[in-house]
Amino acid sequence: MSAYFLHLAILGGIYIILAISLNLIIGYAGQVSLGHAAFFGIGAYISALTSLYWGFPFLLAALSAILFSGVCGLLLGLPTLRLKEDYLAIVTLGFGVIVDLVFLNLEITGGPDGLAGIPSPRILGLSFRSPVMYLFLTLFMVLLTLALTYRLVHSYHGRALRAIRDHEVTAQVMGINTPAYKVAIFTLAAALAGLAGSLYAHYITFINPESFGLHTSILALCMVVLGGMGSIAGAVVGALALTVLPELLRSFKAYQDLIYGGLLVALLIWRPEGLLGRGKLSLKFISRE
Amino acid sequence: MFLQQLLNGLTAGAVYALIALGYTMIYGILGLINFAQGEIYMFGAFVAVLLLGTGQVNFFVAFAAGMAAAAILGVVLERVAFRPLRGSHPLVPLISAIGASIFLQSLALLLFGPNDRPFPIQFNFRTITIAGLPLSSLQGAILVAALGLMVLLLLFVRYTRYGKAIVACALDQDTARLMGINVDRMVALTFLIGSALSGAAGIMMAIYYNATYPRMGLLPGLKAFSAAILGGVGNIPGAILGGVLLGVAESLGAAYVSSGYKDAIAFAILILVLLFRPQGILKGRGD
Repeated sequence: MSAYFLHLAILGGIYIILAISLNLIIGYAGQVSLGHAAFFGIGAYISALTSLYWGFPFLLAALSAILFSGVCGLLLGLPTLRLKEDYLAIVTLGFGVIVDLVFLNLEITGGPDGLAGIPSPRILGLSFRSPVMYLFLTLFMVLLTLALTYRLVHSYHGRALRAIRDHEVTAQVMGINTPAYKVAIFTLAAALAGLAGSLYAHYITFINPESFGLHTSILALCMVVLGGMGSIAGAVVGALALTVLPELLRSFKAYQDLIYGGLLVALLIWRPEGLLGRGKLSLKFISRE
Repeated sequence: MFLQQLLNGLTAGAVYALIALGYTMIYGILGLINFAQGEIYMFGAFVAVLLLGTGQVNFFVAFAAGMAAAAILGVVLERVAFRPLRGSHPLVPLISAIGASIFLQSLALLLFGPNDRPFPIQFNFRTITIAGLPLSSLQGAILVAALGLMVLLLLFVRYTRYGKAIVACALDQDTARLMGINVDRMVALTFLIGSALSGAAGIMMAIYYNATYPRMGLLPGLKAFSAAILGGVGNIPGAILGGVLLGVAESLGAAYVSSGYKDAIAFAILILVLLFRPQGILKGRGD
């Protein structure tokens, strides 16, 4: 395996976790987060800072990243998830701008220069400095995320969430505490994005605010819509496609955002279920009322 | 110092209010947040700047052309990105609007390049003092123009057949249709008016900051949305009030609290409003 392929595989794995977490919000809570990169960034910065300043080992740093991102998601979700779906989109977009400004202005985050020299993970004396080892670590985390979300989605709670997404009032009448469920899934999604951020920071070993701006949030959104909203396998396919395609088409770079924007509109009009969305379920979800 | 900041805030606030009117009218009639409003604002500014740059037209023609171009873009956007999706889950048009916003922004980046463009003509603005208040005549002109547009809009909505038809559609589309109102046409008209106002706002800001660039609509668009929520989304006077209050709060906050976080103030207000009074100051049609 060439080094380049390994690099793409690791990045793809990280984006799979990010896309799955965003898909939990979109496909299972029926909301959209436009600041998902902020949670990704918070995870990356917390993980980097705790290992740089306090010498946290990787697993502890990643755990701090997960917890901190999750708490941020909880605090952001509590006031906004009681409201209509548009509000969360705007608030998360604003949250993304604020977090970006905080990364840029704080001294401890290194401002626009960011943080360098983030240590590679070492677990039980085993070093994950080499790309092959890091790929194993990433794959392990991807499998963990997949197992967790799969179990969740196919549980009582997953069915409750789908009911909320399909028809909130009916779900409420059935005795589902809809705000609590939405806050819980949003918190979980933020925490998972934090995990992806932690993996990113310790792989690249250098982070600055640029990697966690609106562009990344939109990229994650495209991955989810392309793969199919509400489909976990779709998130995997969408993430891999949008990691690999830009690399294959070099000249694509200048037109990247143009294509992503057009892709979103076109997909929603002609194929709202995405590549892998389960036709029936997604269509029902799309054509409510 | 304080009065100067207050005036700066009022000027920015009047422009936010113009954009917020577009958000609030479209929200009122479709229940949709048009994320691409900021790009329409940018597009209006670019058309005016490019036309003036040719040296062939005078300022007022360029201003009107910018507004008209923004209005047309708004109508096209509604036709392409929103109308096919009407009646689907509310998430769907929302994501479509985001896609349209990204698309227009990167299209502008390809067409016009990333650099700031100065406004092509120089105005000879003086600072005049009214009752001890130092008012630059540029700020005065922006305030007057913005106020004039708002009054025109209020008169249109209240006293003309089309204005009343728009309100009827916002209140109840089915009943409006039974009364013989062409709802699709009223939706298009709403996009036309809201986008023209945003285009005007864009041109004013292009003069005020002497800079036109592809991403110029991002932050004003977001702030204007916050302003619409603050005033009560769906409520036209509320959008004006929210815009002005937000502009003033931002200007004073930047002067007395922290200028590094100036752009964060609007969102902090937004989150506070959603926490404590999600229907906004004047009751909107939102939740």
